[in-house]
Amino acid sequence: MTVDAEIHSGLINLQTQYGDNNMRRILGILLIPAIAGCGWMIFFWAPSEVSMGIVQKIMYIHVPSVMVAYFSFFIAFISSVGYLWKRKEGFDIVACCTVEIGVIFCGIAIATGSIWARPTWNTYWSWDPRLTTALILFLIFVGYLLLRRFTTYGEQQARLSAVIAIVGCLDIPLIHMSVVWWRTLHQPSTILSTQKNVIDRPLAIMLWISVFTMALLFAYLLSMRIELEQKTRAYLKQIANIY
Amino acid sequence: MVSDIWTILAKDIKLDFRSIENYFSMLFFSIIILLIFAFALPADTHDHKTLAPGIFWVTFLLSGMLSLNKSFQMEKENGSMEALLVSPTSRGAIFLGKMAGNTVFIMIIQAMLIPLFSLLFINTAISHFGELLLLSFISTIGFTAIGTLLSGLTTDLRFKDILLPILLFPLLVPLLLASVKITQGILWSQGFQSELDWVKLLIGFDLIFLIISYLTFDFVMEI
Repeated sequence: MTVDAEIHSGLINLQTQYGDNNMRRILGILLIPAIAGCGWMIFFWAPSEVSMGIVQKIMYIHVPSVMVAYFSFFIAFISSVGYLWKRKEGFDIVACCTVEIGVIFCGIAIATGSIWARPTWNTYWSWDPRLTTALILFLIFVGYLLLRRFTTYGEQQARLSAVIAIVGCLDIPLIHMSVVWWRTLHQPSTILSTQKNVIDRPLAIMLWISVFTMALLFAYLLSMRIELEQKTRAYLKQIANIY
Repeated sequence: MVSDIWTILAKDIKLDFRSIENYFSMLFFSIIILLIFAFALPADTHDHKTLAPGIFWVTFLLSGMLSLNKSFQMEKENGSMEALLVSPTSRGAIFLGKMAGNTVFIMIIQAMLIPLFSLLFINTAISHFGELLLLSFISTIGFTAIGTLLSGLTTDLRFKDILLPILLFPLLVPLLLASVKITQGILWSQGFQSELDWVKLLIGFDLIFLIISYLTFDFVMEI
């Protein structure tokens, strides 16, 4: 068999080995009405906020993105620790996929936050603690992705990037504390606030619905990305075996 | 353990003094950065009072990078890194020895930098020499703890010269903020008392990263 033919048959093998899985398909089918319904509810069901008006609706993207971003960095931290401890490749796959998705959502959160801040605070950017923390986190994990780019697939790549993920995540509380002391402008968190009646009931419900939808989207993206990563790695291994 | 650390530290210092041009190049690099700041900023000395702490610490970060870059680079030559790794010392001892070497190197540069900084920007800074040096020491511990880890991590990689600052600087944000604030307090003759919270944060940063780097260095240096 020629090398080309061998690679080709290997690819077909991969396709059957990692065929479409049903869980993901169900998730994908659920996601379409969820996103459509959420979009409809944001504009037609949820009442406008009194002082901010229509601008406030961007919060239904901003807040869930932040939550998803932090959640995925947290998963990345856990799986990086898991990788260094157990040395199973699965942990590394999860870590690299969650960081990628987390960076995207972190970017979305920063962008939507800036768009929201223009009419509300009258500036696109302010050195507010949570904004700054998000930006620094974004930079740390972009560094993580660059590190993955600059190393080739293998055990070393997994090891080094796990160390960076751990160091980066443990730095979050320190960064947050220091930027809080540095300057403060952001309104205190509303959705997780312990005070009562900071946020009206329909708005709160709407926010939670959008968080749920975003979580669903995150799960779907993650499962897609993990499958893609598995296929890529299996392919790389096959190529390495052939040559 | 302690004797291992000491051996590695002594070796690094000896090597540094044999190639004394390292010190000179780093010192002149720092001088040039200070000069660039002096040229780029307004001549008004009143402004210098608020800007000076930032200038001092940016110079610290940039010149500190040079020390980190050379720290593992000199081990790469003649395969001495492998020799170090197969020698019967723990990875932790290698880390602490290397870190101590970097700390000594940076502290010597800082001690020369403070008078220069005082000359160019704030004349009163020299009267706080001791406090600034102590602060430099506390910050340098945190800087070298995480810097040595990342420098070891990036030695074998492509584009390591650009990767190291990209990975390192975002992680150092708390350290930089704290150092700048405390320096402000010191320059306004209030010593460490005015910014005690920041001092605590800085010491916390040192301890956390000293421990994490010590523990994770094992994984970085596997072969």
